[in-house]
Amino acid sequence: MIERWALVSGLKGDLDTYELIQKDLKKTPGNISLFVLGDMIGPEKNCNKLLHRLINPKSNDLQPWCIYGWWEEQILLESGYRGDQRAEALRINKGEELVKSLTNAVDKSFLDWIAALQFGFVELDCGLIHGSSKDVGENLTLETAPLTLLDRLTRLQVNRLFTARSKQQFHLELKEGIVNSEVEDLNGNRKKEQKVPQKAVIGIGAGKNYTLYDVGTDNTQFVQAGYKSEKRIKGFGRL
Amino acid sequence: MNQAIISCLHANLPAVEAVLKDIELQGITNITCLGDLVGYGPQPNEVIELIRDKKIPTCQGCWDEDVVDGLDACDCSYPSQLAERRGHFAHQWTTDKLTKENKDYLANLPYSIRKDKCLFVHGSPNSQHEYLLPDMDAFAALERVENARAEILFCGHTHQPYIRELADGSIAVKIKNAVPKDTQEKEIQLPMRRIVNAGSVGEPRHGGTKATYVVHNEVTNEVKIREVEYDIELTCKAIIDSGLPPIFAWRLKNGFEFAEQAEDASHVCER
Repeated sequence: MIERWALVSGLKGDLDTYELIQKDLKKTPGNISLFVLGDMIGPEKNCNKLLHRLINPKSNDLQPWCIYGWWEEQILLESGYRGDQRAEALRINKGEELVKSLTNAVDKSFLDWIAALQFGFVELDCGLIHGSSKDVGENLTLETAPLTLLDRLTRLQVNRLFTARSKQQFHLELKEGIVNSEVEDLNGNRKKEQKVPQKAVIGIGAGKNYTLYDVGTDNTQFVQAGYKSEKRIKGFGRL
Repeated sequence: MNQAIISCLHANLPAVEAVLKDIELQGITNITCLGDLVGYGPQPNEVIELIRDKKIPTCQGCWDEDVVDGLDACDCSYPSQLAERRGHFAHQWTTDKLTKENKDYLANLPYSIRKDKCLFVHGSPNSQHEYLLPDMDAFAALERVENARAEILFCGHTHQPYIRELADGSIAVKIKNAVPKDTQEKEIQLPMRRIVNAGSVGEPRHGGTKATYVVHNEVTNEVKIREVEYDIELTCKAIIDSGLPPIFAWRLKNGFEFAEQAEDASHVCER
């Protein structure tokens, strides 16, 4: 049986999209694990129904494995789960109204569940996080410097890093990395050539745009929720 | 023109005086200090006042930060509970000894100092608590310098002086499965960068007992590690007399590596 991961993020309370993804995944061949890489909540709409569904999946739902994202971090800050800090960056950049919208969008009864979520998962040699291994709010994109990407991979000691914060979908491979290092200290000089094995950073998208990852072949497929079924209805066949 | 870089003075007045004398004898007037003026040693106020009197530009070290803000390092910073207890005791002892004026001085030190292509920090550009060890991952080391927009990064914190050159680097980047369908591949040349660790004036951990610092020629870019003898007995006696843990004197006298540092030196303290 093919082992596949479905990587989802940025639902921001959108239960309809989540149900569409669940529907898609039921039709997707293979043994699927569903990972939700944060931003389950957001200020735009009430998030309670989605959170309830994530915590209490329907009997035929794929079990979602969730981590916290940037919006979860903001509500935890604002709700006093991070000591004396509050969501000041959000307040300054987006205003008091948005902070209120966020706190109104999530019932307080869900906060303990959100606070218990992990920063990320390490599965096999892959890191699954919202932003980066440095910061939940860090955007990793195709434009991020390769040295920075390597550093974020090194921090988690993984070969592949799945990230969601940028909302972009991409699969960027880093390979044939080499650097010569010469150290001089009180014991003398030593030279070393360091190589880096092939590594990758994968942007999984957000909302309806999610990613399927084939664990066995290291292939990614960028998917739009509902798109496959729409195509079939129109007679274009499977993607 | 030569500049001297000193670090990790650790309240060891005889060592600081000896190093400043050695710098003076070479005719160097441009000195930068990478912090940790206090901690472990018995003369915190005296060392701060000497640096202040000489108007030596100084970054804030991890001990300087912790004395002001409370212990900030995560528990990974100590190799054992015993070492942690000694560290906490020295922290409290130092906090009690420091004058308000000297605490204010430490509180207002900058995290980094930039001079043209040179960046001066205590630990790394990320954190005063991060160790840039001489053999750390070369790509990660290069990232620290490059992302700090420097050509030479001067740091301390490890108490081990070294000069590391990272050169002739490259990496291939391939974009797979892009939207729209596209595959791009390119090779990126990595810049040549250097990391210079100044070692420690007041608590050497390089296997010897001499104080260390570095001299950088700003024209030729040549860097030399200097070792300076000082009156270790005087400092050891002051440690014992002050009631600080005797092991602090023992390791100064023997020059053994007995560092209160993270077992996993590549760990980045996020606190």
